[in-house]
Amino acid sequence: MRTTAASSALVAVALLVSGCAHAGPAARPPTATTGNAASPAGTAGPGGTRGAAAFNGTDVAWLQLHVAMAERLLPALDLVPARTTDPAWRRLAAQVAATHRADLTRARGLLAGSGAPATNPHEGHDMPGMVTAEQLAELRSASVAALHRLLAQHLRAHLTQAVRVAAAEQRSGAHPAVTALAAAVVRNGTAALARLDRLDPPPASAGAR
Amino acid sequence: MERAVPRAGIRRRLRLATAIGALLTLLGTYAVSTTARADAAPGINAIRVAEFPADCGFSHRLPDDPIIFPGLPGASHMHSFFGSTVTNAHTTLPDLLNSTTTCNPGVDTSSYWVPTLYRNNVPVEPAIVTFYYLGEGVLSDVVARTEPLPQGLRIVAGNALATGPENSIARWSCLHAGHVPPSKNFVNCPAGTMLESYLDFPQCWNGRDLDSPDHKSHMAYPVNQACPASHPVPVPKLRQVLRYPVNGDPSQFRLASGPGYTMHGDFFNAWPVAEMARRVNDCIRPVIKCGHDGRPL
Repeated sequence: MRTTAASSALVAVALLVSGCAHAGPAARPPTATTGNAASPAGTAGPGGTRGAAAFNGTDVAWLQLHVAMAERLLPALDLVPARTTDPAWRRLAAQVAATHRADLTRARGLLAGSGAPATNPHEGHDMPGMVTAEQLAELRSASVAALHRLLAQHLRAHLTQAVRVAAAEQRSGAHPAVTALAAAVVRNGTAALARLDRLDPPPASAGAR
Repeated sequence: MERAVPRAGIRRRLRLATAIGALLTLLGTYAVSTTARADAAPGINAIRVAEFPADCGFSHRLPDDPIIFPGLPGASHMHSFFGSTVTNAHTTLPDLLNSTTTCNPGVDTSSYWVPTLYRNNVPVEPAIVTFYYLGEGVLSDVVARTEPLPQGLRIVAGNALATGPENSIARWSCLHAGHVPPSKNFVNCPAGTMLESYLDFPQCWNGRDLDSPDHKSHMAYPVNQACPASHPVPVPKLRQVLRYPVNGDPSQFRLASGPGYTMHGDFFNAWPVAEMARRVNDCIRPVIKCGHDGRPL
Protein backbone atom coordinates (compact mmCIF):
# COMPACT_ATOMS: atom_id res chain seq x y z
CA MET A 1 0.00 0.00 0.00
CA ARG A 2 2.71 2.41 1.01
CA THR A 3 4.53 1.93 -2.24
CA THR A 4 1.45 2.58 -4.26
CA ALA A 5 0.70 5.79 -2.44
CA ALA A 6 4.22 7.05 -2.94
CA SER A 7 4.44 5.92 -6.52
CA SER A 8 1.16 7.32 -7.68
CA ALA A 9 2.15 10.68 -6.26
CA LEU A 10 5.11 10.92 -8.58
CA VAL A 11 3.49 9.59 -11.70
CA ALA A 12 2.47 12.98 -12.96
CA VAL A 13 5.94 14.43 -12.56
CA ALA A 14 7.68 11.45 -14.11
CA LEU A 15 5.35 11.49 -17.07
CA LEU A 16 5.77 15.16 -17.76
CA VAL A 17 9.52 14.89 -17.68
CA SER A 18 9.88 11.67 -19.58
CA GLY A 19 7.46 12.77 -22.25
CA CYS A 20 9.67 15.68 -23.13
CA ALA A 21 12.94 13.85 -22.82
CA HIS A 22 11.97 11.14 -25.24
CA ALA A 23 9.84 12.92 -27.76
CA GLY A 24 12.73 13.40 -30.19
CA PRO A 25 14.24 9.96 -30.63
CA ALA A 26 10.90 8.21 -30.30
CA ALA A 27 9.43 10.19 -33.15
CA ARG A 28 12.22 9.27 -35.53
CA PRO A 29 10.99 6.99 -38.30
CA PRO A 30 12.58 3.56 -38.41
CA THR A 31 15.49 3.22 -40.79
CA ALA A 32 15.55 0.72 -43.60
CA THR A 33 18.19 -1.40 -41.93
CA THR A 34 16.45 -1.62 -38.57
CA GLY A 35 16.44 -5.38 -38.71
CA ASN A 36 20.18 -5.89 -38.70
CA ALA A 37 21.02 -3.84 -35.68
CA ALA A 38 17.76 -4.45 -33.93
CA SER A 39 17.83 -8.21 -33.78
CA PRO A 40 21.44 -8.93 -33.04
CA ALA A 41 21.10 -11.24 -30.11
CA GLY A 42 20.04 -14.33 -31.99
CA THR A 43 22.84 -14.14 -34.49
CA ALA A 44 25.66 -12.79 -32.37
CA GLY A 45 27.16 -16.16 -31.60
CA PRO A 46 30.51 -17.29 -32.92
CA GLY A 47 30.75 -19.12 -36.21
CA GLY A 48 27.58 -17.62 -37.64
CA THR A 49 27.08 -18.51 -41.27
CA ARG A 50 25.58 -15.20 -42.30
CA GLY A 51 25.49 -13.43 -45.61
CA ALA A 52 28.84 -11.83 -46.35
CA ALA A 53 27.72 -8.21 -46.07
CA ALA A 54 25.48 -8.51 -43.00
CA PHE A 55 26.22 -6.49 -39.87
CA ASN A 56 25.10 -8.01 -36.61
CA GLY A 57 24.50 -6.22 -33.32
CA THR A 58 28.02 -6.91 -32.11
CA ASP A 59 29.52 -5.33 -35.23
CA VAL A 60 27.58 -2.10 -34.77
CA ALA A 61 28.11 -1.91 -31.02
CA TRP A 62 31.83 -2.51 -31.36
CA LEU A 63 32.26 0.05 -34.17
CA GLN A 64 30.42 2.69 -32.14
CA LEU A 65 32.43 1.91 -29.05
CA HIS A 66 35.75 1.83 -30.90
CA VAL A 67 35.07 5.22 -32.49
CA ALA A 68 34.08 6.71 -29.13
CA MET A 69 37.17 5.31 -27.41
CA ALA A 70 39.56 6.48 -30.13
CA GLU A 71 38.04 9.95 -30.10
CA ARG A 72 38.78 10.17 -26.37
CA LEU A 73 42.38 9.01 -26.67
CA LEU A 74 43.50 11.23 -29.56
CA PRO A 75 43.35 14.56 -27.67
CA ALA A 76 45.62 13.07 -25.01
CA LEU A 77 48.11 11.85 -27.60
CA ASP A 78 47.97 15.10 -29.53
CA LEU A 79 49.17 17.17 -26.60
CA VAL A 80 52.33 15.07 -26.17
CA PRO A 81 54.61 16.92 -28.63
CA ALA A 82 53.99 20.24 -26.91
CA ARG A 83 54.41 18.84 -23.42
CA THR A 84 57.54 16.66 -23.62
CA THR A 85 60.75 16.60 -25.60
CA ASP A 86 61.40 12.93 -24.87
CA PRO A 87 61.76 11.36 -28.34
CA ALA A 88 60.62 7.89 -27.23
CA TRP A 89 57.34 9.23 -25.84
CA ARG A 90 56.81 11.47 -28.82
CA ARG A 91 57.40 8.55 -31.18
CA LEU A 92 55.04 6.22 -29.32
CA ALA A 93 52.30 8.86 -29.15
CA ALA A 94 52.67 9.63 -32.85
CA GLN A 95 52.56 5.94 -33.82
CA VAL A 96 49.49 5.17 -31.75
CA ALA A 97 47.74 8.35 -32.95
CA ALA A 98 48.42 7.51 -36.61
CA THR A 99 47.06 3.99 -36.18
CA HIS A 100 43.97 5.29 -34.39
CA ARG A 101 43.27 7.89 -37.07
CA ALA A 102 43.45 5.23 -39.78
CA ASP A 103 41.20 2.93 -37.74
CA LEU A 104 38.75 5.77 -37.14
CA THR A 105 38.39 6.40 -40.86
CA ARG A 106 37.72 2.72 -41.52
CA ALA A 107 35.33 2.41 -38.57
CA ARG A 108 33.32 5.50 -39.54
CA GLY A 109 33.01 4.25 -43.10
CA LEU A 110 31.78 0.87 -41.95
CA LEU A 111 29.33 2.47 -39.53
CA ALA A 112 27.91 4.62 -42.32
CA GLY A 113 27.32 1.48 -44.36
CA SER A 114 25.63 -0.33 -41.48
CA GLY A 115 22.64 1.98 -41.34
CA ALA A 116 23.17 2.55 -37.60
CA PRO A 117 22.44 6.01 -36.20
CA ALA A 118 25.30 8.40 -36.87
CA THR A 119 25.15 9.82 -33.37
CA ASN A 120 27.70 8.72 -30.81
CA PRO A 121 25.78 6.64 -28.26
CA HIS A 122 28.66 7.09 -25.82
CA GLU A 123 28.86 10.90 -26.07
CA GLY A 124 29.92 12.37 -22.77
CA HIS A 125 30.03 8.96 -21.16
CA ASP A 126 33.08 7.71 -19.33
CA MET A 127 33.43 4.08 -20.29
CA PRO A 128 36.31 1.78 -19.35
CA GLY A 129 39.40 2.70 -21.37
CA MET A 130 38.24 6.23 -22.14
CA VAL A 131 40.28 9.26 -21.16
CA THR A 132 37.94 11.50 -19.15
CA ALA A 133 37.72 15.28 -19.38
CA GLU A 134 39.27 15.54 -15.91
CA GLN A 135 42.17 13.30 -16.89
CA LEU A 136 42.75 15.34 -20.02
CA ALA A 137 42.83 18.55 -17.97
CA GLU A 138 45.28 16.93 -15.59
CA LEU A 139 47.54 15.96 -18.50
CA ARG A 140 47.50 19.54 -19.79
CA SER A 141 48.85 20.92 -16.54
CA ALA A 142 51.12 18.05 -15.49
CA SER A 143 54.87 18.29 -15.10
CA VAL A 144 56.90 16.29 -17.61
CA ALA A 145 57.51 13.44 -15.14
CA ALA A 146 53.86 13.31 -14.17
CA LEU A 147 52.86 13.52 -17.82
CA HIS A 148 54.85 10.39 -18.65
CA ARG A 149 53.37 8.52 -15.71
CA LEU A 150 49.76 9.58 -16.41
CA LEU A 151 50.10 9.01 -20.12
CA ALA A 152 51.41 5.50 -19.51
CA GLN A 153 48.50 4.82 -17.19
CA HIS A 154 45.81 6.08 -19.59
CA LEU A 155 47.40 4.54 -22.67
CA ARG A 156 47.74 1.17 -20.96
CA ALA A 157 44.10 1.28 -19.78
CA HIS A 158 42.90 2.29 -23.22
CA LEU A 159 44.95 -0.23 -25.21
CA THR A 160 44.13 -3.08 -22.85
CA GLN A 161 40.41 -2.37 -23.09
CA ALA A 162 40.57 -1.78 -26.86
CA VAL A 163 42.30 -5.13 -27.39
CA ARG A 164 39.80 -6.87 -25.08
CA VAL A 165 36.69 -5.64 -26.87
CA ALA A 166 38.22 -6.04 -30.33
CA ALA A 167 39.03 -9.67 -29.50
CA ALA A 168 35.38 -10.12 -28.52
CA GLU A 169 34.30 -8.58 -31.83
CA GLN A 170 36.53 -11.06 -33.67
CA ARG A 171 34.71 -13.90 -31.93
CA SER A 172 31.13 -12.57 -32.03
CA GLY A 173 31.02 -10.19 -34.99
CA ALA A 174 29.64 -11.17 -38.40
CA HIS A 175 30.75 -8.65 -41.02
CA PRO A 176 34.14 -9.67 -42.46
CA ALA A 177 35.36 -6.09 -42.87
CA VAL A 178 34.52 -5.33 -39.26
CA THR A 179 36.14 -8.45 -37.85
CA ALA A 180 39.17 -7.69 -40.03
CA LEU A 181 39.39 -4.21 -38.53
CA ALA A 182 39.05 -5.77 -35.07
CA ALA A 183 41.92 -8.12 -35.88
CA ALA A 184 44.04 -5.12 -36.85
CA VAL A 185 43.13 -3.37 -33.59
CA VAL A 186 44.18 -6.44 -31.61
CA ARG A 187 47.46 -6.71 -33.56
CA ASN A 188 48.37 -3.03 -33.41
CA GLY A 189 47.17 -2.63 -29.84
CA THR A 190 49.21 -5.59 -28.63
CA ALA A 191 52.30 -4.22 -30.37
CA ALA A 192 51.74 -0.77 -28.87
CA LEU A 193 51.32 -2.27 -25.41
CA ALA A 194 54.65 -4.06 -25.82
CA ARG A 195 56.34 -0.77 -26.79
CA LEU A 196 54.68 0.93 -23.85
CA ASP A 197 55.91 -1.79 -21.50
CA ARG A 198 59.48 -1.18 -22.63
CA LEU A 199 59.09 2.55 -22.10
CA ASP A 200 57.23 2.25 -18.83
CA PRO A 201 57.48 -1.21 -17.24
CA PRO A 202 54.06 -2.21 -15.92
CA PRO A 203 53.45 -2.74 -12.20
CA ALA A 204 54.88 -6.12 -11.20
CA SER A 205 51.62 -7.53 -9.93
CA ALA A 206 49.51 -6.47 -12.86
CA GLY A 207 51.41 -8.35 -15.57
CA ALA A 208 51.14 -7.31 -19.17
CA ARG A 209 47.54 -8.33 -19.75
CA MET B 1 -0.49 16.32 -3.99
CA GLU B 2 -2.98 14.67 -1.66
CA ARG B 3 -6.53 15.80 -2.25
CA ALA B 4 -8.38 15.48 1.00
CA VAL B 5 -11.91 16.24 -0.10
CA PRO B 6 -12.46 13.54 -2.70
CA ARG B 7 -10.62 11.08 -0.49
CA ALA B 8 -13.01 11.72 2.41
CA GLY B 9 -15.89 11.37 0.00
CA ILE B 10 -14.68 8.01 -1.13
CA ARG B 11 -14.27 6.85 2.46
CA ARG B 12 -17.89 7.72 3.14
CA ARG B 13 -18.94 5.86 0.08
CA LEU B 14 -16.78 2.95 1.13
CA ARG B 15 -18.55 2.64 4.46
CA LEU B 16 -21.89 2.77 2.72
CA ALA B 17 -20.80 0.17 0.26
CA THR B 18 -19.61 -2.17 2.97
CA ALA B 19 -23.02 -1.95 4.53
CA ILE B 20 -24.82 -2.52 1.30
CA GLY B 21 -23.07 -5.37 -0.39
CA ALA B 22 -24.93 -4.97 -3.62
CA LEU B 23 -23.22 -1.64 -4.24
CA LEU B 24 -19.74 -3.11 -4.16
CA THR B 25 -19.27 -3.51 -7.86
CA LEU B 26 -20.60 -0.08 -8.57
CA LEU B 27 -18.25 1.44 -6.02
CA GLY B 28 -15.31 -0.31 -7.61
CA THR B 29 -16.08 1.41 -10.86
CA TYR B 30 -16.34 4.74 -9.10
CA ALA B 31 -13.11 4.34 -7.24
CA VAL B 32 -10.96 4.15 -10.34
CA SER B 33 -9.34 7.51 -9.91
CA THR B 34 -5.85 8.49 -8.99
CA THR B 35 -6.94 9.77 -5.61
CA ALA B 36 -8.54 6.47 -4.73
CA ARG B 37 -5.51 4.33 -5.35
CA ALA B 38 -4.10 4.25 -1.87
CA ASP B 39 -7.47 4.31 -0.19
CA ALA B 40 -9.00 1.02 -1.12
CA ALA B 41 -10.06 -0.47 2.18
CA PRO B 42 -9.43 -4.09 3.01
CA GLY B 43 -12.54 -6.18 2.94
CA ILE B 44 -13.77 -5.27 -0.49
CA ASN B 45 -13.17 -7.75 -3.23
CA ALA B 46 -10.40 -6.06 -5.16
CA ILE B 47 -8.00 -3.17 -4.80
CA ARG B 48 -8.55 -0.96 -7.80
CA VAL B 49 -4.95 -0.49 -8.89
CA ALA B 50 -3.76 -1.99 -12.15
CA GLU B 51 -0.64 -3.69 -10.89
CA PHE B 52 1.32 -6.90 -10.57
CA PRO B 53 4.82 -7.09 -9.09
CA ALA B 54 8.03 -9.05 -9.36
CA ASP B 55 10.54 -8.85 -6.53
CA CYS B 56 13.97 -9.76 -7.87
CA GLY B 57 16.96 -9.63 -5.55
CA PHE B 58 20.53 -8.95 -6.60
CA SER B 59 22.03 -11.73 -8.71
CA HIS B 60 25.48 -10.71 -9.94
CA ARG B 61 27.73 -7.94 -11.24
CA LEU B 62 29.45 -7.81 -14.61
CA PRO B 63 30.85 -5.07 -16.87
CA ASP B 64 28.52 -6.43 -19.57
CA ASP B 65 25.39 -5.24 -21.39
CA PRO B 66 23.66 -7.68 -23.77
CA ILE B 67 21.49 -4.87 -25.21
CA ILE B 68 23.99 -2.03 -25.75
CA PHE B 69 27.13 -4.20 -26.13
CA PRO B 70 25.91 -7.59 -27.34
CA GLY B 71 28.79 -10.05 -27.70
CA LEU B 72 31.32 -7.70 -26.11
CA PRO B 73 32.14 -8.84 -22.56
CA GLY B 74 33.89 -6.19 -20.50
CA ALA B 75 32.82 -3.37 -22.82
CA SER B 76 30.45 -1.70 -20.38
CA HIS B 77 30.61 0.09 -17.08
CA MET B 78 29.74 -2.16 -14.13
CA HIS B 79 26.15 -3.38 -13.99
CA SER B 80 24.19 -5.02 -11.20
CA PHE B 81 21.88 -7.74 -12.50
CA PHE B 82 18.53 -8.85 -11.07
CA GLY B 83 16.24 -11.68 -12.11
CA SER B 84 17.92 -14.15 -14.44
CA THR B 85 21.13 -15.45 -12.89
CA VAL B 86 22.91 -16.12 -16.20
CA THR B 87 22.91 -12.74 -17.96
CA ASN B 88 26.16 -11.70 -19.59
CA ALA B 89 27.26 -9.98 -22.81
CA HIS B 90 26.19 -12.96 -24.94
CA THR B 91 22.73 -13.47 -23.45
CA THR B 92 19.86 -14.15 -25.81
CA LEU B 93 16.20 -14.92 -25.20
CA PRO B 94 16.65 -18.75 -25.12
CA ASP B 95 19.33 -18.33 -22.43
CA LEU B 96 16.88 -16.39 -20.29
CA LEU B 97 13.98 -18.77 -20.86
CA ASN B 98 16.08 -21.65 -19.50
CA SER B 99 17.55 -19.65 -16.66
CA THR B 100 17.12 -19.73 -12.92
CA THR B 101 15.99 -16.45 -11.42
CA THR B 102 16.08 -14.40 -8.24
CA CYS B 103 12.52 -13.24 -8.88
CA ASN B 104 9.38 -13.84 -6.93
CA PRO B 105 7.44 -15.10 -8.85
CA GLY B 106 9.89 -17.69 -10.09
CA VAL B 107 8.24 -17.79 -13.51
CA ASP B 108 9.82 -14.42 -14.25
CA THR B 109 13.21 -15.25 -15.74
CA SER B 110 13.55 -11.80 -17.29
CA SER B 111 16.78 -9.90 -16.83
CA TYR B 112 16.90 -6.45 -15.28
CA TRP B 113 20.07 -4.42 -14.80
CA VAL B 114 21.26 -1.02 -13.59
CA PRO B 115 24.60 0.74 -13.16
CA THR B 116 26.21 -0.38 -9.91
CA LEU B 117 26.00 2.06 -6.99
CA TYR B 118 29.23 2.72 -5.14
CA ARG B 119 29.66 4.17 -1.66
CA ASN B 120 33.22 5.39 -1.22
CA ASN B 121 34.12 3.20 -4.19
CA VAL B 122 32.69 0.04 -2.61
CA PRO B 123 29.76 -1.54 -4.50
CA VAL B 124 26.41 -1.46 -2.70
CA GLU B 125 23.48 -3.58 -3.84
CA PRO B 126 19.84 -2.75 -3.16
CA ALA B 127 18.23 -4.67 -0.31
CA ILE B 128 14.73 -4.38 -1.77
CA VAL B 129 14.22 -4.63 -5.54
CA THR B 130 10.71 -4.44 -6.96
CA PHE B 131 9.56 -4.23 -10.54
CA TYR B 132 5.96 -3.09 -10.72
CA TYR B 133 3.99 -3.68 -13.89
CA LEU B 134 1.35 -0.96 -13.96
CA GLY B 135 -1.63 0.22 -15.93
CA GLU B 136 -1.38 3.92 -15.29
CA GLY B 137 -0.18 7.10 -16.90
CA VAL B 138 -2.68 6.64 -19.71
CA LEU B 139 -6.45 7.10 -19.89
CA SER B 140 -8.62 4.31 -18.51
CA ASP B 141 -9.80 3.20 -21.95
CA VAL B 142 -6.14 2.79 -22.94
CA VAL B 143 -5.45 0.77 -19.79
CA ALA B 144 -8.39 -1.45 -20.69
CA ARG B 145 -6.74 -2.44 -23.97
CA THR B 146 -3.23 -2.96 -22.63
CA GLU B 147 -1.35 -5.66 -24.52
CA PRO B 148 1.12 -8.07 -22.89
CA LEU B 149 4.79 -7.16 -23.15
CA PRO B 150 6.04 -9.33 -26.01
CA GLN B 151 8.57 -11.97 -25.07
CA GLY B 152 12.08 -10.91 -26.07
CA LEU B 153 11.28 -7.20 -25.88
CA ARG B 154 14.21 -5.06 -24.74
CA ILE B 155 13.59 -1.69 -23.11
CA VAL B 156 16.04 0.89 -21.84
CA ALA B 157 14.88 3.70 -19.53
CA GLY B 158 16.72 6.67 -18.12
CA ASN B 159 19.72 8.42 -19.59
CA ALA B 160 23.17 6.99 -18.92
CA LEU B 161 24.58 9.99 -20.80
CA ALA B 162 22.75 12.64 -18.78
CA THR B 163 24.99 15.64 -18.25
CA GLY B 164 22.72 17.17 -15.63
CA PRO B 165 19.30 16.91 -13.99
CA GLU B 166 17.62 18.62 -16.94
CA ASN B 167 18.02 15.66 -19.29
CA SER B 168 17.29 12.95 -16.76
CA ILE B 169 14.15 11.16 -15.55
CA ALA B 170 15.94 9.65 -12.54
CA ARG B 171 14.30 10.08 -9.16
CA TRP B 172 16.02 9.61 -5.81
CA SER B 173 14.22 9.73 -2.48
CA CYS B 174 14.29 8.23 1.00
CA LEU B 175 12.31 5.23 2.19
CA HIS B 176 10.56 6.13 5.46
CA ALA B 177 11.55 9.78 5.18
CA GLY B 178 8.96 11.31 2.88
CA HIS B 179 9.82 14.80 4.05
CA VAL B 180 13.11 14.72 2.14
CA PRO B 181 12.31 16.24 -1.24
CA PRO B 182 12.99 13.85 -4.11
CA SER B 183 15.69 14.80 -6.58
CA LYS B 184 17.14 13.67 -9.87
CA ASN B 185 20.47 13.32 -8.10
CA PHE B 186 21.34 11.55 -4.84
CA VAL B 187 19.59 12.86 -1.73
CA ASN B 188 20.74 13.00 1.88
CA CYS B 189 18.62 10.42 3.72
CA PRO B 190 18.37 10.54 7.52
CA ALA B 191 19.92 7.81 9.64
CA GLY B 192 17.70 4.77 9.81
CA THR B 193 16.24 5.31 6.33
CA MET B 194 17.21 3.93 2.94
CA LEU B 195 18.17 5.69 -0.27
CA GLU B 196 15.69 4.72 -2.98
CA SER B 197 15.57 5.07 -6.75
CA TYR B 198 12.44 5.13 -8.92
CA LEU B 199 12.52 4.76 -12.68
CA ASP B 200 9.57 4.46 -15.06
CA PHE B 201 9.99 2.69 -18.40
CA PRO B 202 8.23 3.73 -21.62
CA GLN B 203 4.89 1.94 -22.09
CA CYS B 204 4.00 2.49 -25.75
CA TRP B 205 5.38 -0.03 -28.26
CA ASN B 206 5.63 0.37 -32.03
CA GLY B 207 4.04 -3.08 -32.32
CA ARG B 208 6.83 -4.40 -34.50
CA ASP B 209 10.38 -4.34 -33.15
CA LEU B 210 11.74 -6.08 -30.05
CA ASP B 211 14.72 -3.69 -30.12
CA SER B 212 15.96 -0.85 -32.33
CA PRO B 213 19.35 0.43 -33.46
CA ASP B 214 19.41 3.10 -30.75
CA HIS B 215 17.61 0.73 -28.36
CA LYS B 216 14.96 3.41 -27.72
CA SER B 217 13.04 4.13 -30.92
CA HIS B 218 10.79 1.08 -30.72
CA MET B 219 9.30 2.39 -27.45
CA ALA B 220 7.81 5.73 -26.42
CA TYR B 221 6.31 7.44 -23.42
CA PRO B 222 2.64 8.42 -23.58
CA VAL B 223 1.64 11.81 -24.94
CA ASN B 224 -1.47 13.38 -23.40
CA GLN B 225 -2.16 10.12 -21.56
CA ALA B 226 -2.36 8.13 -24.77
CA CYS B 227 0.05 6.17 -26.91
CA PRO B 228 1.19 8.18 -29.95
CA ALA B 229 0.33 6.98 -33.47
CA SER B 230 3.97 6.01 -34.05
CA HIS B 231 3.83 3.68 -31.02
CA PRO B 232 0.18 2.65 -30.88
CA VAL B 233 0.38 -0.43 -28.65
CA PRO B 234 -0.04 0.17 -24.89
CA VAL B 235 1.87 -2.31 -22.73
CA PRO B 236 2.25 -2.42 -18.94
CA LYS B 237 4.43 0.34 -17.56
CA LEU B 238 7.46 -1.08 -15.81
CA ARG B 239 8.38 0.84 -12.68
CA GLN B 240 11.74 -0.05 -11.16
CA VAL B 241 12.05 0.63 -7.41
CA LEU B 242 15.39 -0.01 -5.71
CA ARG B 243 16.04 0.46 -1.99
CA TYR B 244 19.70 0.72 -1.06
CA PRO B 245 20.81 0.11 2.54
CA VAL B 246 22.69 3.41 2.68
CA ASN B 247 21.98 6.96 3.79
CA GLY B 248 23.73 10.19 4.66
CA ASP B 249 26.09 12.47 2.74
CA PRO B 250 25.40 12.09 -1.01
CA SER B 251 29.00 12.92 -1.86
CA GLN B 252 29.99 9.38 -0.88
CA PHE B 253 27.84 7.93 -3.68
CA ARG B 254 28.40 7.44 -7.38
CA LEU B 255 26.96 5.21 -10.06
CA ALA B 256 29.13 3.21 -12.45
CA SER B 257 27.71 5.55 -15.11
CA GLY B 258 28.37 8.76 -13.15
CA PRO B 259 26.23 11.03 -10.93
CA GLY B 260 22.79 10.04 -9.65
CA TYR B 261 21.00 11.57 -12.64
CA THR B 262 22.66 9.01 -14.95
CA MET B 263 20.53 6.26 -13.35
CA HIS B 264 19.12 3.99 -16.03
CA GLY B 265 17.58 0.57 -16.26
CA ASP B 266 17.59 -2.18 -18.86
CA PHE B 267 14.91 -4.83 -19.21
CA PHE B 268 14.99 -7.99 -21.33
CA ASN B 269 11.56 -9.61 -21.15
CA ALA B 270 11.50 -13.39 -20.67
CA TRP B 271 8.17 -13.79 -18.89
CA PRO B 272 6.39 -16.93 -20.11
CA VAL B 273 3.85 -15.69 -22.67
CA ALA B 274 0.89 -17.26 -20.86
CA GLU B 275 1.91 -15.88 -17.44
CA MET B 276 2.30 -12.36 -18.80
CA ALA B 277 -0.99 -12.59 -20.72
CA ARG B 278 -2.87 -13.86 -17.68
CA ARG B 279 -1.62 -10.98 -15.54
CA VAL B 280 -2.46 -8.37 -18.16
CA ASN B 281 -5.90 -9.90 -18.49
CA ASP B 282 -6.62 -10.37 -14.77
CA CYS B 283 -4.79 -7.41 -13.21
CA ILE B 284 -3.99 -4.60 -15.65
CA ARG B 285 -7.03 -4.39 -17.94
CA PRO B 286 -9.66 -4.73 -15.17
CA VAL B 287 -7.57 -2.48 -12.85
CA ILE B 288 -6.99 -4.94 -10.03
CA LYS B 289 -4.00 -5.09 -7.72
CA CYS B 290 -2.42 -8.53 -7.89
CA GLY B 291 0.22 -10.29 -5.86
CA HIS B 292 3.33 -12.07 -7.01
CA ASP B 293 1.24 -15.00 -8.16
CA GLY B 294 -0.74 -12.73 -10.46
CA ARG B 295 -3.96 -13.27 -8.48
CA PRO B 296 -6.01 -10.43 -7.00
CA LEU B 297 -4.88 -9.52 -3.50
